[in-house]
Amino acid sequence: MRVGVIGVGCTKFGVLERTIQELAFEAVREAVEDAGISKNDIDISVVGTSNTRGYELMPAVPVNEYCGFAGKGPIRVEAACATGSAAFYTAYSSIVSGMADIAIAIGVEKMTEVNTPTSLAVGGRSGSYLWEFHQYGTTFPGYYAMHASAHMAEFGTKPEQLAMVAVKNHRNAAKNPKAHFPKEITLEKAVSSRYVAYPLKLFDCCPISDGASAAVLASEEKIKELGKEAVWVEGIGFSSDTANVAKRGSYTGLKATVEASRMAYKMAGIEDPLKSFDLACLHDCFTIAEIMAYEDLGFCKKGEGGKFVEEGRSDFGGDIPCNTFGGLKAKGHPLGATGLAMVYEAVKQLREEAGELQVELKNYKALTHNIGGTGHFGWVFVLGL
Amino acid sequence: MFIEGRELVFKHNIPVTKVEKYWKGLEEGKIYGTVCKSCGAKYSPPQADCSECYSSDMDWVEITGEGVVEAMMEQYTFPAGFEFLKEPYVVAVARFGDFRVVGWAREKVWVGDRVVAETDKDETGVWKVYFKKV
Ligand SMILES: [Zn+2]
Repeated sequence: MRVGVIGVGCTKFGVLERTIQELAFEAVREAVEDAGISKNDIDISVVGTSNTRGYELMPAVPVNEYCGFAGKGPIRVEAACATGSAAFYTAYSSIVSGMADIAIAIGVEKMTEVNTPTSLAVGGRSGSYLWEFHQYGTTFPGYYAMHASAHMAEFGTKPEQLAMVAVKNHRNAAKNPKAHFPKEITLEKAVSSRYVAYPLKLFDCCPISDGASAAVLASEEKIKELGKEAVWVEGIGFSSDTANVAKRGSYTGLKATVEASRMAYKMAGIEDPLKSFDLACLHDCFTIAEIMAYEDLGFCKKGEGGKFVEEGRSDFGGDIPCNTFGGLKAKGHPLGATGLAMVYEAVKQLREEAGELQVELKNYKALTHNIGGTGHFGWVFVLGL
Repeated sequence: MFIEGRELVFKHNIPVTKVEKYWKGLEEGKIYGTVCKSCGAKYSPPQADCSECYSSDMDWVEITGEGVVEAMMEQYTFPAGFEFLKEPYVVAVARFGDFRVVGWAREKVWVGDRVVAETDKDETGVWKVYFKKV
């Protein structure tokens, strides 16, 4: 059975004076209005939130009630930074199973209700607490810094190449009013910023953002009945890796990306990923993550990711524009919202509603790549017209 | 406008009974991994049950000798719980034969550096592995 996306919504990302349910409501209302249906037409709601920082410890029901879905779900899902994609998959599956005709996936995260040291300590527990954070004070930037050290040592990837990812994504975010940091930065500013976790600097890191996004999915039959245009889910892939950093295969890439993309490409019939997509939304929580993603998704060979960004191949006018709305790096990364914000971006681009940030459509296909933790979860979607 | 929420403190009691040998070992300067007697799977950090063959019959083996750093980072912004530190700290993952070990490096290390491991406790009394360059 084919499943399509008929409505998307996304809040501005940033430090937002909203509760988790108020934030979710903004994205849900936009998505339902975009779908052109009544919220009462929705059969089941999926609430994706990591919510390890917010005050509302069991937020699915408060979110569900506030969005007017009491009695319909909610299914709460959590997959760290890939929570939004896990929510999308759950909504998709509820339709494929025949249990629902229309489902909504809601992704929301309140990151800024606690201070930065607390946020770092929470994120640092995304590996295996007892063996890592407890003993060594590992952090989320620290884990990606380890990957960066391995990539730089093995392939000679340069700090300037990491910074080029940030410069590109900030340039795109500058034209996206929903971005946390809608402003351009210079390469010099990025490379001369202070270290957060060596070898990663401040401008290699995404901000700590609040935000919400949502997508309304429906069965092909329902879409025909409603007479709607849809963006179709053509491929879905998922994978995961060890919790313990010491138990990983290699540090120069994320196996979860490789495996998830293989699965999604197979389902969607993608043979040459570099030539198949008009855009890609990549998980650039840190600049090194986008560089590893080029390689692990098969856009270039392992080790050539630095060169790939340096040659402008991931920019507008390049082989495959990546993170056209600014990426996690500059648009922001509210964990639960991120995967669905990628779906939002892909849908807006495929419908040619991306304004100044519109890519040229040739294949009418987009890829989303959403990672939880440091490759602890991996999700890849192929969306198309 | 904001209002301040009520304070909630989590200070967990973590059961380490099944891997007690590891934690006791650190106090004696030893680092242990486990090897499954049934299928040979090797675990560092150690685990008492085999994720591969579901056996719980494990050998405890000491991890010794020289290791090679495979990844590192130096943390400049301190997470809650590590305020006691005054200087950025270096965390590395090093390979010792079949086992990888995570540790704090006494000095800055880089990928490919050879290290030896020792154990010590930090200012908060938590035992751990420390690497020294060879
Ligand atoms: Zn075994």
